[in-house]
Amino acid sequence: MTTKQKRKIRDNVIGYSFILPNLIGYSIFVFLPVCFSFILSVMKWDASQAPMEFVGLQNFTRIFGDKLFRGAFMHTVSYALMTVLPTLVLSLLLAVLLNSKIKGIPFYRASFFFPYITSTVAIGAVWNMLFQPEFGPINEFLKFVGIANPPKWVVDVDWAMVAVAIVTVWKYMGYYMIVYLAALQGISSDLYEAASLDGADSFQKFRYITVPMLTPTTFFVLIMLTIQCFKVFDLVYCMTGGGPGNATKTIVNYVYEKAFINWELGPASAGAIILFAVVLVVTLIQFSGEKKWSKDM
Amino acid sequence: MKLKKITALTLAAGMAVSMTACGGGNETAATTAAPAAKEDTTTAAAGDAAETEAPAENAGGELSGELTVSVWDYDANPSMSSMVDSYMEKNPGVTINVIDTSADEYNNSLGISLSAAQPDPDVIFVKDMGSMLQMADKNQILCLDDFISKESFDLGVYKGVAEELQYDGKTYGLPWRSDWYILYYNKDLFDAAGVEYPSNDMTWDEYYDLAAKMTSGEGSAKVYGTHHHTWEALTSAFAVQDGEHTVVAEDYSFYKPWYEKTLWLQDNGYMQSYANLKTANIHYSSVFKNQQCAMMPIGTYFIATMIQSQKDGETDFNWGIATIPHPEGKSGYTVGATTPLAISAYTDVPDLAWDFIKYATSAEAAGLLASYGSFPAVMTEDALNTISSIEGFPEGDSNKEALNYVNFVFDRPLDPDIEAVRVPLNEVHEMIMIGEYTIDEGIEELNTRVGEIKGW
Repeated sequence: MTTKQKRKIRDNVIGYSFILPNLIGYSIFVFLPVCFSFILSVMKWDASQAPMEFVGLQNFTRIFGDKLFRGAFMHTVSYALMTVLPTLVLSLLLAVLLNSKIKGIPFYRASFFFPYITSTVAIGAVWNMLFQPEFGPINEFLKFVGIANPPKWVVDVDWAMVAVAIVTVWKYMGYYMIVYLAALQGISSDLYEAASLDGADSFQKFRYITVPMLTPTTFFVLIMLTIQCFKVFDLVYCMTGGGPGNATKTIVNYVYEKAFINWELGPASAGAIILFAVVLVVTLIQFSGEKKWSKDM
Repeated sequence: MKLKKITALTLAAGMAVSMTACGGGNETAATTAAPAAKEDTTTAAAGDAAETEAPAENAGGELSGELTVSVWDYDANPSMSSMVDSYMEKNPGVTINVIDTSADEYNNSLGISLSAAQPDPDVIFVKDMGSMLQMADKNQILCLDDFISKESFDLGVYKGVAEELQYDGKTYGLPWRSDWYILYYNKDLFDAAGVEYPSNDMTWDEYYDLAAKMTSGEGSAKVYGTHHHTWEALTSAFAVQDGEHTVVAEDYSFYKPWYEKTLWLQDNGYMQSYANLKTANIHYSSVFKNQQCAMMPIGTYFIATMIQSQKDGETDFNWGIATIPHPEGKSGYTVGATTPLAISAYTDVPDLAWDFIKYATSAEAAGLLASYGSFPAVMTEDALNTISSIEGFPEGDSNKEALNYVNFVFDRPLDPDIEAVRVPLNEVHEMIMIGEYTIDEGIEELNTRVGEIKGW
């Protein structure tokens, strides 16, 4: 073995040893359980020492036939539709706004970022009070501006998911604002100066410089948001518990119930795999869309 | 076998991690970290093989060793810590470790550690009878019949409660604590209104009338006649109180009159609306403590809370208790639940565990429980006297008599699917209470969904 080869091996070993701690954690707590849930999705198992039983695709056909699962699926999709775009647009606008030279910028940035680092349980409890149908501030305000019968929000089948979506947008826009801010600061000011010389106004600058230059970031934000929305659990659990009835039960709530209340790990894993597949497909579509989009720009 | 255990552990770890998002963070309280599954436990895990190997230390009569018990909200539950402490005092050779979990997460976390077949915990405080059946179905807890026959242990000491806990004719748990519904009332509010206190022999119809009569005031000064918490049990438990139905039914039409009455209370403003309580996340104790309701049906566990509250000076009004109202002709019938103690099938100290649960469910321990205001599963005259003589227990014989009953019905039947059935029960309850379903629609949905779970 030459010295060069030896050095290469040594470098590799050192390199791997740096990522090893994280890799071990990731393997034990993420990768192996994920693999295991693939196995479980074709098994019948109640988490006891009783042997697993291979049942093929039965778990999948069973949960597709389950009205509750189909409901949970639709609730998740509608939640994603109500959440992803508003968060994206608002966080972009916020970032542009807070990228200018206003007094007290750090304060505003911090204020918008705070919801993201606040505990979901606390957020759920406080927003539930704001949404309180009879004497909550939100409905008091709506009545004040002339809406006689404001929605009952979290205890209203039609509005509960909207309430959760509003809180989600509020919670996450600060985080994506920071992501956008970082990207905005990476755009060379030369471009704006050149545009100014050509007589472009602020909107034109935004439309033809800022937005295109942010495309990779927008793409990143879009994917992260979509994944995040599809796997929503905690906020729903804290705000509505899946209710009223099962109006806000999402796929993950369904999986949780199947797994840890009914102890049917097979169908629960099948549900998780379906969720995985959906997110994968949506992400792939976005990937191909991104390629096209950036070419057109 | 080994591979299975590794996969189970991995699964447990993975799930535990992904579930912490909303976990409330009480899991840090564990006194002992559960050690990784030892190889020798697989033999003990065989269940029936467990008691054939009697530990040597048992021969001399002096027990020693290390016992691990699984409990919830340990610091807030002196009834549990008193069991542990007094047992260690009696058996100096025994060390007891406690695995403490928050009440909300208890069944999940216990289920996961059992699926990993770990030797700890040895003794399990069972939070819901339904979860005891789930564990029994999965052979995760020991059938106690061998212990009982080996020692010719007489279940008669439990006055029939142990038999009621039997599942398929087998004993999986010994009854430790019981709680049942009683009616709390605010004496001051009754005095001010010049209305007689609720009696220990009141029908539900009389109760509804009384709730209407005791409602007064408007706005934030309003006093509601009664208070039903958001639990579906506060309608369904009373529907099964007569012992003729259970909450796992093929036909739920017997719910109808009960929901009509609950809605009547709510829609007339004799109790706070479900929507209000749910959205403002109001705990029943604050409603009673703030004197916003004249009466409140809730479990006997609330007695200890009230005594403590008066003692701490948090509240300062006169209160009393009465027997829960009863259906026509069913005087003395009450409805409640029992907390059993069980032994893990994977325990490495089965005999020590058996000795502990025998002690914790004994008459001696019952007195200890009572001294903390908790109700042992087997009520004795002594225990009753102890509880009613605790300082802060409402004065007057009627309060002590309120704790008597002639018939005890479980609020949930011993059905292995009960936990799954509770999901539609809760969801439909919510839909009825917020007016999204009519009662008939709710009953129809229950019939369908419970039928699907039960395979009817």
